[in-house]
Amino acid sequence: MPVVELDLNRIQRLVGKKSNRKKILDVLPFLGLDIESQEGDSVRVEFSPNRPDYSTDFGIALGLQGLLGIKTGILKTNVKKKGNYQIKVDPSTSKIRPFVTGIIAKNGSIDDDAIKQLMNMQEDLHFGIGRKRKKSSIGLHDLDKISFPLKYTTIDREHKFTPLNSDTESTISEILQNTDVGQNYGNILGQSSKIPIILDTDGNTISFPPIINSALTTVTSETKNILVEVTGIDKQSAEDMLAVVTAVLENAGFEIYQLKISGSKNSTPTLASRSITIDSDLTNRILGLNLSPSSIISCLKKCRLDAKLKNKRIECSIPRYRFDIFGPMDLVEEVALGYGIDNLDPTLPVSQNIGSKHSITEKLDNSSLVMVGLGFIEALNSSLTSKQILYEMTNKNSSDIISVTGSKSQDHTILRDSIIPGLLENLSSNVHETYPQKLFESGIIFSRDSPIKESINLSCVNASKNTNFSDMKAVLQSFLRTSFNLECETKTTSDNTLFTNGRVANIVINNQNFGQIGEIDSSILENFRVRTNVTAFELTLSGLIFD
Amino acid sequence: MSQVLHDIEKKIIEVLKSKPNQTTEQLSEITELSIDQIRRGIEWLRLKDLAEISESTKKSVSLGKNGLEAFRNGLPERKLINLVHDSPKNFDEIRSNLSGLGFNAAIANARKNGWVKIEKTESGQIISKKEEAVETPEEKLLSFIGEKNVSDEEIENKMALKFLMNRPDFIIEHEETTKSISLSNKGKEIDFKKADSGAIDVEANVPIIYPARIHPLKDVINEIRETFVNLGFTEIFGDLSQPSFWNFDALFTPQDHPAREMQDTFYLENLNAEKFASPTQIKNVSSSHKNGWRYLWDIQEAKKMVLRTHTTCVTIKHLAENKPNEARIFSLGRVFRNEKVSYKHLVEFNQVEGIVIGKNATLRDLMGIQKEFYRKIGLTKVKFWPTFFPYTEPSLQTMVYNEKLGKWVELFGMGIFRPEVTKPLGITKPVLAWGGGIERIAMLKYGVDDVREFYNNNLDWLRNASKCQ
Repeated sequence: MPVVELDLNRIQRLVGKKSNRKKILDVLPFLGLDIESQEGDSVRVEFSPNRPDYSTDFGIALGLQGLLGIKTGILKTNVKKKGNYQIKVDPSTSKIRPFVTGIIAKNGSIDDDAIKQLMNMQEDLHFGIGRKRKKSSIGLHDLDKISFPLKYTTIDREHKFTPLNSDTESTISEILQNTDVGQNYGNILGQSSKIPIILDTDGNTISFPPIINSALTTVTSETKNILVEVTGIDKQSAEDMLAVVTAVLENAGFEIYQLKISGSKNSTPTLASRSITIDSDLTNRILGLNLSPSSIISCLKKCRLDAKLKNKRIECSIPRYRFDIFGPMDLVEEVALGYGIDNLDPTLPVSQNIGSKHSITEKLDNSSLVMVGLGFIEALNSSLTSKQILYEMTNKNSSDIISVTGSKSQDHTILRDSIIPGLLENLSSNVHETYPQKLFESGIIFSRDSPIKESINLSCVNASKNTNFSDMKAVLQSFLRTSFNLECETKTTSDNTLFTNGRVANIVINNQNFGQIGEIDSSILENFRVRTNVTAFELTLSGLIFD
Repeated sequence: MSQVLHDIEKKIIEVLKSKPNQTTEQLSEITELSIDQIRRGIEWLRLKDLAEISESTKKSVSLGKNGLEAFRNGLPERKLINLVHDSPKNFDEIRSNLSGLGFNAAIANARKNGWVKIEKTESGQIISKKEEAVETPEEKLLSFIGEKNVSDEEIENKMALKFLMNRPDFIIEHEETTKSISLSNKGKEIDFKKADSGAIDVEANVPIIYPARIHPLKDVINEIRETFVNLGFTEIFGDLSQPSFWNFDALFTPQDHPAREMQDTFYLENLNAEKFASPTQIKNVSSSHKNGWRYLWDIQEAKKMVLRTHTTCVTIKHLAENKPNEARIFSLGRVFRNEKVSYKHLVEFNQVEGIVIGKNATLRDLMGIQKEFYRKIGLTKVKFWPTFFPYTEPSLQTMVYNEKLGKWVELFGMGIFRPEVTKPLGITKPVLAWGGGIERIAMLKYGVDDVREFYNNNLDWLRNASKCQ
């Protein structure tokens, strides 16, 4: 989950005079914000990815005001239409990054802490809603460095400008090759010869989305007026992002002015609130409460929404930045939050049901106890294991291997098709412990089918000086008889890599093959650095006792 | 210390208890065992530090050739006095009766004893009796020794011995070294009565043995499963490998959601499911995505096989296929996340998930069932916080107070399935769902702070972790 760092002095100032630190800390979890750590005034909280407005303390303060009852109801975005701020969109952008939107925020002031918060927000928006800038990306600029109207167009890769955090000009190609952002996000633009660009009326480069802004418009603590631009391949996603930034800047004390967008399927954003209707019955039925409509309305207002009673139903108005709300059920949750989760009294419903374990579990549990009775300790290994253990150390042909893509761990790259190799690995890491060592494991193994077949196997190993084929066969027979009242035969086979030739057999039950038993080959034991004799069997239970 | 003793050892010890310092021969005689047996027994006892051997030298004397002659026929001086007992005799007469060197010695000693006197006459020297000759100490000693070997200590008149020794071939001296055996202090403590009654040293150390057992994590899994069953839940079972459709799409997770990326989820290389859901299910899920998330849903994405990231895919598939109006169901098993393995993250771990479906099921019921579940596994301090899950609304998480850590830790998540999830699959009643990782609970139970511990199969830990936590 994403994390935001809060300064308690700052958040207290933002929430308002009536708040105190203890209350703030107590209420944070009930906004869905987990306190990850606290050091002095600095608190790190985790927020849910569906609430990007909580990626800044401005947004969190808005929520705290509601639950603490300091300010409730919706934060109305009043978009002023004064000024002639405009972006004209060139149709050439439609093939590569067709949408642009934006807003003007004026007469505010931001200090370094506020800039830090806005940067954190930007990063979160890029990662979450922006899907790593692919779907949409955002730029904040010092408005006073820009001459309108702006032009959103495309340009070739030889175009030069001075990017953010640099004092020299670079070409687009150089930026893509030499900067971290260029390397990380350049692939979004593909191989197209032209790239999207925002230019001002003087021909200055303002932004090269979704990669980097220009140095010219860098936002600093001196900045009073801000241009927000969002570009993307999805109009909705771009406007979602814009709505979050607008709410945050508004709460940070800025006045919001319209930025007109025109050309090539683009339009000026309205940032209007929506309305969704819920009824008290549904709310009370889901929460197990008996709240009056007016209580429900007051709960919703505490969550910074507006609501009113209309024809016995509650009409709720939802600000544009709360795009996490899909329908009535989301509002039921808002009611629960406004009511206070800690005010909900748990009830234990009477059950008419009689529970039961699955028959597979039942049989596995019982047969495991038989193995314990035979003196074997249960081991547990990953079913996602390594090629080295499963194939290389057991000298096995790896042509039918089932791999996962892009594993972060070398030890977990392929699905096991047998259990014994894992047990041998366990013996290998226990060579300093006293012998005899007897282990068993039951679990799922995988094989190719259409597309894949999962079976349940049970295997065991006995590592000791005196173990041999016969005593393992005795274990196998005893296991089958005691667990399932089954008799087995052991039939000579040469089809094997794990066992010593002449000391290996197929396990045959009712004329069908259900596994192998034998003495592990010395070369394999050497691979695992086990210096004693090891006998083992692997038995497939699926098809034998399970369907 | 308890001693296991051989019969031979026991017999020897018994003798030595009352008679210390016995020789092998003496022991052999008393115990009626052969010398060889005694020797062996003594060697065993000595090795066990139960017996001690001490060496002593014994001096003795016996009579030599002349001594024996004197013992049988009297000393030369006695012979002399017998010759002159009745009348004096001259030298020549006596010399012919007393042969050799004995003559001079006889004359000298008889005179010294004051038994005879010697007079010179014309016919030569005459020896005559002077006094009655009583038995001398030397004579007494001769008859004491006789033909025996007599130890030094037995001879009282050392003077007489000295005289006899000065006479040639009278006394032979002997020196003999003897070994005698007695019990050590440890040996003296042996209590036969106790040993013979079968008593042993009950305070002694014994070797450590280990029982075979079920894996400790499995114990926790089984306990949780039992708890679900006790709460009236029925177990369902499903595959670890799943089409993305059931793992994600059916749960309203948009196809471009970060959780679906390769870096979080394990995709099976080049494996796609062909038949995985009914055409209606596919159509409805597709339009739920289109309406809710506003994008073009792609069936190819839904076919991609993944290792399930939660057990919810099993639950939702079961609900879609059976559409129960009222039920309590749970599923438990391995789930997978493409994570870097660390002390708190595994790529593969166990998850349990329960659902309650019913027309009157409420969020407060969900909280109540949770509380009861935790109470049954011994966790009593529980509270609930709001949270977010893509497929439930409202969503909560449980916080459980951990006494050992002194803080609240996050355990199971829960919520009510979103209508966007249930409606397309024809599920009409509210579905309360809750679940989470089992290793977390096991870590609390066993005081383990590295989750990898559970899959290391370290025998030292497996053999020693206590069963009843």
